[in-house]
Amino acid sequence: MHPSNYAHWSLTTARDLTLEAARDAANVRSSKTSTKMLPSGQLKKLLDSRSERDVLEGLRRVVTMSYRQPPSQTLPFFSHVIKNIASPSLQVKKLVYIYLLQHAEHEPDTALLSINTIQRSLTDQNPQLRALALRVMSGIRVPVISQIVSLGIKRGAGDMSPYVRRAAALAIPKCYQLDPNTEPQLLDYLSTLLADKQFFVAGAAVAAFLEMCPNRLDLIHPHYRSLVRKLSDMDEWGQLATLRLMVKYGRKCFPRRTRKIRKPVNNGTSAKQKSTKGFYDEESDSEESEEPEYEEVAVLDSDLELLLNACKPLLQSRNSAVVIAVARTYLYLGTPTYMSLAIGPLISLLRASGDIQHVALYNIVQVCLMYPQSFVNHYIHFLVRSIDAPHIWQLKIELLTLIFPHAPPRLQSLILAELSHFSHSGSLDPGLVKEAVRAIGRCSQTTDPKTSARCLRLLLAHIGSADSHLVAESLEVIRHLIQRDPDNHRTTVVRLAKHLDAATSAQARASIIWLVGEFSGLDPENNIAADVLRILVKGFADEAEPAKLHIVLLAAKVYLHHLNANPPPDQPKPAEQPQPSPSVLDDFHEEGGFRDEHVQNQNQPPAEPVAPQEKPHTVVALWNYILLLSRYDTSYDLRDRVRVYRSLLSSSTSTQLANLLLLAPKPVPQAPSPSETRKGYVLGSASLVIGDEGGVGGLRGYEDIPPWVKEGQEPDPSLREESASAAASSYEVNRAVSAAERLDAAAGGDVRSASPASPNGVGPSGVPKKESKSLDQWLEEESEEGETDSEEEETDDEEESEYETDSEEEGEADRLVK
Amino acid sequence: MSPIEALYIFDENNTPLLEHTYAGRPPSGSTLLPLYLAHPKPRPSLVYLPNTNPPTLLYSVIQDQLLLLCPTSSDTEPLQVLEFLHRVTDALEDFLGGPLLASKIESHYDVIAQLLGEMVDGGLVSTTEPNALRDVVDAPSTIKSLLAGVGLPSSTPSSSSSNSPFALGGGRGASPRMGGMGGNIGVGGIGGGGTTSTVPWRRANVRHTSNEMYVDIVETLHVTLSPSGRPLAALANGMIAFTAKVSGVPDLLLQLGCPGGISNAVSLPTFHPCVRLNRWRDHPGELSFVPPDGRFTLAGYEVDLLGPAALDAFSTTTPANAAPKLNIPATVSVQTSLGPTGSDFEVRLQLNPRFKGKAPSPLPSSTGSSFSGRGGLGKGLGGAAFGGAATTGTTAAPAMDGMVIHVPVPSSVKTVVDLKVPRGSGEAVFQATESRIRWAINSREIAILMSNDRGTGAGMLTTLRGTVVGHDGDEDEHGDTSLGLSSNTYDYDDDQTGAYQSPSAHASSVPAAAKEGKGGDTVKRNKVLMPSCATISFTVKGWLPSGIKVEALTLDQRRSKGLGAGVQPYKGVKYLCVSRKGVETRC
Repeated sequence: MHPSNYAHWSLTTARDLTLEAARDAANVRSSKTSTKMLPSGQLKKLLDSRSERDVLEGLRRVVTMSYRQPPSQTLPFFSHVIKNIASPSLQVKKLVYIYLLQHAEHEPDTALLSINTIQRSLTDQNPQLRALALRVMSGIRVPVISQIVSLGIKRGAGDMSPYVRRAAALAIPKCYQLDPNTEPQLLDYLSTLLADKQFFVAGAAVAAFLEMCPNRLDLIHPHYRSLVRKLSDMDEWGQLATLRLMVKYGRKCFPRRTRKIRKPVNNGTSAKQKSTKGFYDEESDSEESEEPEYEEVAVLDSDLELLLNACKPLLQSRNSAVVIAVARTYLYLGTPTYMSLAIGPLISLLRASGDIQHVALYNIVQVCLMYPQSFVNHYIHFLVRSIDAPHIWQLKIELLTLIFPHAPPRLQSLILAELSHFSHSGSLDPGLVKEAVRAIGRCSQTTDPKTSARCLRLLLAHIGSADSHLVAESLEVIRHLIQRDPDNHRTTVVRLAKHLDAATSAQARASIIWLVGEFSGLDPENNIAADVLRILVKGFADEAEPAKLHIVLLAAKVYLHHLNANPPPDQPKPAEQPQPSPSVLDDFHEEGGFRDEHVQNQNQPPAEPVAPQEKPHTVVALWNYILLLSRYDTSYDLRDRVRVYRSLLSSSTSTQLANLLLLAPKPVPQAPSPSETRKGYVLGSASLVIGDEGGVGGLRGYEDIPPWVKEGQEPDPSLREESASAAASSYEVNRAVSAAERLDAAAGGDVRSASPASPNGVGPSGVPKKESKSLDQWLEEESEEGETDSEEEETDDEEESEYETDSEEEGEADRLVK
Repeated sequence: MSPIEALYIFDENNTPLLEHTYAGRPPSGSTLLPLYLAHPKPRPSLVYLPNTNPPTLLYSVIQDQLLLLCPTSSDTEPLQVLEFLHRVTDALEDFLGGPLLASKIESHYDVIAQLLGEMVDGGLVSTTEPNALRDVVDAPSTIKSLLAGVGLPSSTPSSSSSNSPFALGGGRGASPRMGGMGGNIGVGGIGGGGTTSTVPWRRANVRHTSNEMYVDIVETLHVTLSPSGRPLAALANGMIAFTAKVSGVPDLLLQLGCPGGISNAVSLPTFHPCVRLNRWRDHPGELSFVPPDGRFTLAGYEVDLLGPAALDAFSTTTPANAAPKLNIPATVSVQTSLGPTGSDFEVRLQLNPRFKGKAPSPLPSSTGSSFSGRGGLGKGLGGAAFGGAATTGTTAAPAMDGMVIHVPVPSSVKTVVDLKVPRGSGEAVFQATESRIRWAINSREIAILMSNDRGTGAGMLTTLRGTVVGHDGDEDEHGDTSLGLSSNTYDYDDDQTGAYQSPSAHASSVPAAAKEGKGGDTVKRNKVLMPSCATISFTVKGWLPSGIKVEALTLDQRRSKGLGAGVQPYKGVKYLCVSRKGVETRC
């Protein structure tokens, strides 16, 4: 249901529920006794009884049994139940039919015995019974009767009651499944029904069409316009079917024509303004990019435009599926102008209950990937609430990041503040923390350096947190950011290194150390890697194992860089020790962030120039020291690794293999919006919600939107000309005037009726002319009785023009004369 | 390809109540249920089960503790199926009476079988309007179920009138005269379909002895407040529920009004199909419609209580008090990391004195007159036409009820000790299974609170304090008393434009972090255990946050049919504001 849904429908509080339950529990006892299983003998007796009341009671029990027990339990009653199929009582008949539908497959032979009686019901006076009979007959899954069913459909399709005609339409796919050979006849009936004047018949016919032969678009041509016109008056399910059909039809029958037009200057500016302010401005006739002088404007076929406009009132439907279907129509057939109309209604789906909200969010994300700009004004709906379920907030956060690059600065601050709030709100689950941090990372990919700097600052602030999830995820995201653009993040690495003091969790330290190592080769004159290593080595023994592993790796990398920079031949003077630049280091010292007293005291020794004694270079010394330390470590993993590194780097002359292993360029990680993977799926499909889990290419039965038909290959537009005679088309015109109007007219020609074409007015039913006579007779009688229930009949009456009718008597007299 | 292949209903203990297969050969409910339950909570409404044969998409809806499952084997529109499931519950509720209970279903399988048969035909959804269903399926009336208990046949014996289609219309009010009429029509075979009425959503031949119409406007609050108390988002989702018990085919006009103009307040409306959209477009606030019989949702809308300029408040230049004014009955704020170890927190609840109501308070409380600021809200309703306002909580003196504050805490919190209400009243407990603190204040306590605060008018304040204990809670408390609050600021004015690339811009934050790292270790550890938000739930009768009110509800006599001349239906209006954890404050 739509917003207005039934979550708070009856506002039942828990108390009401329990009261009711208690009351009902009392009832159960009594009703249980009445529905208690009877011994089968007694039940058969009931079914065989002459009294209708007993039969009814027996049938109730059988139906109840059939819902609670396997069919084997209720099958023994088959013949006893079927016997009652000829009962004059509609009540009895209905229950027999229900039983028959459930069990016919198990006893096809006995079921066939009943066909005759059902067939007879097809000619019953009561339209409800006729429809029911048709439904049951087509629902019995016994292939032998396909011809009979087909005949029944034929009769039903010509029935005067729309109720029966609808049943006929719905029976068509069932008959087709029974026996595909009946297709030619069925197509015939179907095309009659597609032309039906009655809204819900046409809707059902479209549904049947999609079910049976969705690719026979040639059948649709003559009915296209009338279907489109009926669209807003159909019931929700008919609308859904029709919109599904129309997207396909539109793509296959209307080639995409674009025209380059020179854009008037003033128009261009106004469009620009619009893009920032209002998305609901309809009068903007420029659809596409505001690029320079020329722009491509889609030229819509007039028939296509008819469809797109007919969809508009549907956007306020209470049925969320209809709203999505309209959005899909606009997305794949319309222009951005149309699409912008659907944005608001899409957002309104978020008022609905959780289940619908969830699916709606997927669709909103899908649209947002294409038109992020349009959603900026609706940001308020994407703010995460603490009561949102994980699958809801995931999508909401994604939406926030999608609109982020297009948001005005204030909104950007708001979004970042939101995300950072959730990134350190531990009381919600760790998943949210993770997602929020990632989202900050995605936000930072904007082009604006200031914003991304701010994002990075937010992330860096997390490193000292006690929440290990947060720290790990933040570092992960920081790493991605740095790897994407290492040159600009040189100082970031330095800053990270400073945070080594604050970072307590081993994983966090390990990631930082890895990052330092990864960028140790960058800008060799000015790198801090060796220094970091030097400091870390001191506390090596106290580090946790993951950190140790990375310290060793760092040492290996630093040593390798050292070897690369100073090839052994010129051993004597190991050039310049990769000292960090004074400026960076100075900061370092001032802040005292990195070094503790312990380090401070021993600061000098390693930096001391020990060259005079032909001591090895500091880096070499560090390397050897590390090798020594880790050789006696308790972790065999660590020892193993060190062994590998040592043998790799043992020969100081051949470093190629080591280069390959240690300094291989890492692929730049990509962090696209999570829904990018689903981008290919059609809006509103289940595959969109399930994603790639459902298999590549979507779930079974998934259909992609067909490509636009090529210019020149489209079917002739004249096919869509309504083939009906002039009279019929003038009739159509009348119809388009709509139901509500007619109702108004019938009610006494109210002039106030402000809306001559109320799109969802009261639907009249199409009545062949003949009946209206008898109707009128009835009406007359009725008016004598002073009853005023005649409304429906009047509105049914197609003959009546809507101007007629001030007084019914007059009208009646008229016709009687006729 | 059929969208609806089967429908399974399970009760709250997951015992199967009903299995109805429509098309194809879907996996049975007993195979699907365990697979569905295998998904961790909260379960999404659409689950893909690749291991069944055929691979199945499973849709689920939970209504009144009943679980409805609907499998499909191919890609369909998910919302179509979900909407259908909601319609099924609506129809069942309409026929069996809400709330839906397992026992009701068990005792009415025959009705349900007919309903389900009508709603889907061969896997395609056909009739879902409750009124249209009433035309073809007999509802078990209360009398009927009474009779059924005694074992008597309850429905009108259908054999006598089987040739009259209208007798199918239901047990309700099938007067002899109608039967006669029906016979006449039956012979003529009314084009409209005999059994179905021309107005698709209204059943034929509605008869009521007393004609009544009720409008219930319910608005659900969704407010998010920043730690500073500034509203980030404030939405009210409105729903207009209409109950029409009027004979014939009435044509109604409902006029809504709002202080700032209805079109400014209401956005993104959705309507029941009966509403004439053009009328609304040309005259916003006017709903013209022919209602279905019985209760239905006429329209839904939303109101942004902050207005479009809300975003402007998030700038550095605007002082905090210039934030958009938000008028809600209660707000809450949470202070965390208090006390020497930073393990205490305090929740303050601020009540708005306007919602005092005329609740049965021990002290005679003043009525709405003293709060005339908004007291006039909907006064027109108190007039003659709308006599039926609620007994407690009128528009003049809206009353608050069912106040519950939830404070979720991280799952790493073992328990909360010293939970007490030093000021005010209410009962607070820590619910370990749900990791939250529940603080309930009943309406009487609210009334007492309200009446205590006569003079100040600043609103009533009540507080709750507690101490969290983590699982590894026994830290050495080398008492450093620095409250970690400074690091806890939630900076919405983060507009620093300092160039990031220069290290100096960042320098300032590091010492602070370092200091905290040394001194407030416990504080920092406890900070992870702090609640991060608090939510309030309540209902207010007789007041709407948006200020929308019903100006008039008129029955167009000329356009209506079937209602005796001069019959003036009884009209009633109710306003209700609900917050289901809807007011949320972060900290």
